Amino acid sequence: MQYVTLKKERFDDFISRLAQDKKVVAPVAQDNNAYAFEPVTSGRQIAKDYIPTILPPKKYFMPQYETLATFNIGNGQQMEPVVEYERMILFGVRTCDLAGIQCLNMVFSERPKDHNYLVRKSKIIIIGYECNDYCDEYASCRLVHNHTPNGGYDLFFTDLGDKFIVHINTQAGDEIIEKTKLFEEANEKDLKALEALREKKRKIFANEVPVVHENIPQVFEKSYNSNIWEDLGKKCLSCGNCTNVCPTCYCFDVIDEPNLDLKTGKRYRRWDSCQSETFAKVAGGESFREERAARQRHRYYRKFKYPVDKFARLFCTGCGRCSRTCMAKINLKETVTALVAEQGLTDKKAGKE
Amino acid sequence: MAKPKVAFFDFACCEGCQLQVANMGEMLLDVLGAIDVVEFREVMSEIGPDKIDVAIVEGSITDHHAVERIKKIRERASILIAYGACACIGGVNGMKNNFKLDDIRKEVYGKDYKYFDSVETRAVHQVVKVDYKVNGCPVYIPEFVKVLKAALAGLPYEVPDYSVCVECKLNENVCMYDRGLTCLGPVTKAGCNSWCINNNNICYGCRGMVSNPNENGAKDVIAKYNIPMDLVVNKMNMYNKCREIDQREQPKKKH
Repeated sequence: MQYVTLKKERFDDFISRLAQDKKVVAPVAQDNNAYAFEPVTSGRQIAKDYIPTILPPKKYFMPQYETLATFNIGNGQQMEPVVEYERMILFGVRTCDLAGIQCLNMVFSERPKDHNYLVRKSKIIIIGYECNDYCDEYASCRLVHNHTPNGGYDLFFTDLGDKFIVHINTQAGDEIIEKTKLFEEANEKDLKALEALREKKRKIFANEVPVVHENIPQVFEKSYNSNIWEDLGKKCLSCGNCTNVCPTCYCFDVIDEPNLDLKTGKRYRRWDSCQSETFAKVAGGESFREERAARQRHRYYRKFKYPVDKFARLFCTGCGRCSRTCMAKINLKETVTALVAEQGLTDKKAGKE
Repeated sequence: MAKPKVAFFDFACCEGCQLQVANMGEMLLDVLGAIDVVEFREVMSEIGPDKIDVAIVEGSITDHHAVERIKKIRERASILIAYGACACIGGVNGMKNNFKLDDIRKEVYGKDYKYFDSVETRAVHQVVKVDYKVNGCPVYIPEFVKVLKAALAGLPYEVPDYSVCVECKLNENVCMYDRGLTCLGPVTKAGCNSWCINNNNICYGCRGMVSNPNENGAKDVIAKYNIPMDLVVNKMNMYNKCREIDQREQPKKKH
């Protein structure tokens, strides 16, 4: 039994039953068409049509501030590692954000493994949620092939009108189905409806940048000295919004902070950003990426070039958050379109059915 | 080991930042456990000894008398902490520098203005050496505690030189620009945990500007949001007018 269905009138019940057992977090509407993952106890609190949340779910996998160790220098140098975690269920994770979590998993599973991340991750159950249409004009999920699910979830919900069809991907997901007792086995008609929806999506999600998917790494291989980076540098305010909201930006700074007794204290990490001037500054005051243009280029290369070389995977998930949040209107789709054109790789038919 | 002797002093200010110390709540007990407060006009009558370990100075320097007094405090103290926007960046008192000094004196003191001394408003570091800064109007108490710990431990404290937006995003606030409001967060130094925006207010720039703002880029953004330039300049000058003294006396090497 891989697929089950849930009648919509049972959805509220479903979330309430989940919340009795564990903390459930899901997208909740803020003001000005903004959304954020927050704890919920009923389905009614969850936003219906939501664009990607201000911060991606990475905040639960690598929190903004996370204690790594405590120390005591009162008698020699003692240090105790700390692993903080919380059991929870993430509901309503879009396919772009599922891809983001998959990218983080790859990064933090590399040796030396990041145990703080991996322990935390092992306590989180993920329930994905399909986009039947574009969230808004900033998304570029078709470009990076994230408009349909590619795994990375325990359960995956797709809206079929009067009911959800749910894909069960793991044992943890199966246990939720068994325990909540609200689901029915999917019939032939439900599966056909899902197939028809995916077929329809192929027409809705057109390639957002006119380039053949496989040519993206080639574009970036040749664009290192492009003048386009200078243009971005002139616009950029270095506020770091683009990296903080990115589902795959994982850079952090580690800080030791003493308590008032000046003997005990803690070591914690905090999100850092390659866009801030201090990020690449080293002893003596030298900075490896002094200019904003170089910092913006670095951000793009960290999505489209370096991870392709290292993990054979694009680290842009197409969620559109960086463009959506940028006050200076630096737009990822426009930047990549311009780079593609500069390399003569524009293909208006690419990715179109 | 004797606890470090700490004294509080104030110059041109509202004394609100010192009041924040009294507002600390339970943390105040921890702080008082770590230091020996020897002088603090707002809460005690005693006058401290000639030599003190840490001087915490609120307020900006606005007349000759203040210049002499801050120099004496500097001589008495091993460590001097500029405390609050007035001390760190001149703060609202800097607005005086928008006008001719005599015009201001006439406005305030009337025909006898010559009897009342006044000088261009300066931040404390523009008169004497400052070892640590606790920015803000008022100071953000968690940051004050951080700075105090750094000072007592002899460690440096780096005021974040990136914008308030960084902490604001970490707090997942809805952007004030998306709400149609003009916020100085993008050009203001972080360290306050975006305190005002967390509480539905805009950033007024009370922590001083980041050291290398993209001024042309900021102008473009301001134009895109149809914000009049003079409104932004006035907003900046509310706290940051004394920045001009830094620019005048310590010309930047690059950018």
